[in-house]
Amino acid sequence: MDVVVQALLNGLVSGTLLAVPAIGFTAMFAVLRFPNFSVSGVATLGAFAGYVAYGAGLQMAGALAVAFAIAGVAGLAFDKAVHLPLVRQGALPAAIASIATGLVLENVVRLGFGNDPRGYDRPIARDIRLGDLRVSPQQLETMALALGLMLAVFAALAFTRIGKAMRASADNPELAALKGIRPERIAMMASFVGMGLVGVGGMLLGLDSSIDPLTGTRILLSLFAAAVLGGLGSAPGAVLGAFLIGMAEELSVLVVGSQYRAAVGFFAILIVLTVRPRGLLGERAF
Amino acid sequence: MIRNRIGRRAALVGGVAAVASPAVLRAQTDPIKIATLTPLTGAGGSYGPVMAKAAASVVEEVNKAGGVLGRRVVLVSEDDQTSPEAGVRAARKLIDVDKVAAILGTWASSVTTAVAPLCWESKTFLCTVSGADSITQLPHQGFLVRTQPNSRLQVTRVGEFILSLGAKKVFTMIPQTPFTQSTFDILGQVLPKGGATHQSLIYDDKKTTYRTEVDQALRTQPDVILANGYTPDTVVLLKDLYRAGFKGKILGFAYSINQKLVDQVGQNEVVEGVYTFAPSPAEGSGAYERVKAAVGSANPDPYTSQVYDHTNLVLMSMALGKAATGEAIRDNIRKVTQGGGKPVDNAVDGLKAIAAGEKVDYSGASGPCDFDAKGDILDCKFRYEQIKAGKFTLVKIA
Repeated sequence: MDVVVQALLNGLVSGTLLAVPAIGFTAMFAVLRFPNFSVSGVATLGAFAGYVAYGAGLQMAGALAVAFAIAGVAGLAFDKAVHLPLVRQGALPAAIASIATGLVLENVVRLGFGNDPRGYDRPIARDIRLGDLRVSPQQLETMALALGLMLAVFAALAFTRIGKAMRASADNPELAALKGIRPERIAMMASFVGMGLVGVGGMLLGLDSSIDPLTGTRILLSLFAAAVLGGLGSAPGAVLGAFLIGMAEELSVLVVGSQYRAAVGFFAILIVLTVRPRGLLGERAF
Repeated sequence: MIRNRIGRRAALVGGVAAVASPAVLRAQTDPIKIATLTPLTGAGGSYGPVMAKAAASVVEEVNKAGGVLGRRVVLVSEDDQTSPEAGVRAARKLIDVDKVAAILGTWASSVTTAVAPLCWESKTFLCTVSGADSITQLPHQGFLVRTQPNSRLQVTRVGEFILSLGAKKVFTMIPQTPFTQSTFDILGQVLPKGGATHQSLIYDDKKTTYRTEVDQALRTQPDVILANGYTPDTVVLLKDLYRAGFKGKILGFAYSINQKLVDQVGQNEVVEGVYTFAPSPAEGSGAYERVKAAVGSANPDPYTSQVYDHTNLVLMSMALGKAATGEAIRDNIRKVTQGGGKPVDNAVDGLKAIAAGEKVDYSGASGPCDFDAKGDILDCKFRYEQIKAGKFTLVKIA
């Protein structure tokens, strides 16, 4: 029983980290109406941007801000130059192009940093034991950062003008435009913030392990599964989906073995698309 | 006109006579040809050139001492580009055009697997440094030996080393690879013989954390954990083992737990006391000293040592078989390297002894070079190291 609780706890931690890029992914889908798979490359870019900033002596919050900014700008640039012109032809051409831009970004990072894995120079501490359960102090810190960031995003969506404008535009672009909300501005904002979150997510996921050019590609499936499970376009859905995927992946280690972890993501997508295509929280539940 | 015709005919006849008549005589003085087929470019490109150099040094020494069977030895060196296609093209050229008796030093298992059929069909002898178990299981009719320990030998030695650490409960953590199942099978045989139990877990090498996997392993209360992955996943695994407070011993292969890994973990306590393990050249042997001098390096890699041995073995086998053919090598290679006799560690000494009718037993730079019926080496040295304060320190070579 302890093992199951411990696995759920581990899943909760990885779910929290996964939730950050999942919110970014789903927010971009809500506004731009295509699944942007270049998140794999952007997450890697964010992780390396944060790595450089942290290595240069910045505090954790500062390094996260750098990761956010660099990933946001890169994501915005690719959306402007490549994805958005294609999205007029439909979501599929843009989605396929985004796979390509993700590969481009991944290889740009590879060109600059090589294939070797790198680690953030953070002290590695022994876990804190609570009875039979254990948590790592670093994980708690990373988790707190992720939760703080999510709260900030939700507060911005709920209370700020730009947040309300984004929700309005996601809900009904034509009506929002009639009300004087400029769709291009909202699209740019969604690209920047969405990709910024993805970049931060890449860094948060790399903090405890290590980063290399495939960091983003490794989380792509889990991230996509989380967004689909919660309902593509729904930010709370993405958080819920991320927690569920995180816990399911850890539980799967106990049940079917770690080597089938990738199947968990695919299985979740399969079930959702068959039983409830709109996802757990529906599509537009911001 | 007529004179001209006669002249031509005469010239033709004379020419044919000149070419044909001393054919038997020329065969005696024609050089013996052998070849290296090593990766001069591609993924193995850092090994191949030095390997070819080691072979060339042997040929040079032997030629200085009068050659083999009274004939000069010529070494042809081709590049397999670490690619099976390029390897096959090069092997075809070596076999059909150069007509070499032996090809030495194929490095990548994929290249060896592709080149081997050309060799046994043309009765050309092949010496390889590739490790995949499947290679010696090919129907090579005896025309192949390898000096690299196969994974069975490597894992058996790992198991024995684990037992020597006093292990009672061993846990292996390994990603899905071609050698995963065989690793489990072999450890499952070796460890119980020494009174230890063995449990294992296959993990996904793309995960960013192994907390749950580590929990599962630690539930079995192991005293030794074999971390059998590659560098990126092993970094994460070692960190998570440290976080979980694992106090037992950790062991891994040196291709994964290396200086890069230590640098990347960045905290010496995490990797303190971790053991590493790798096949080793026969350090301290006379042959290894010769390889050092030949390639101008203080620590030549195992492959270079192995090709040095290939060259010595092939030349001595031809001398013993009194023929410069692949068949002579096949029939005699085990006779010059195992079964007792005058110990030799280079072909020059070996050839002298063979000429004097003595039985020789070669021990080389890579090890004793004793082969079983399938062409696998029976034994070789392994190098065990332990990380202390972030540095690799030698435990033993055995």
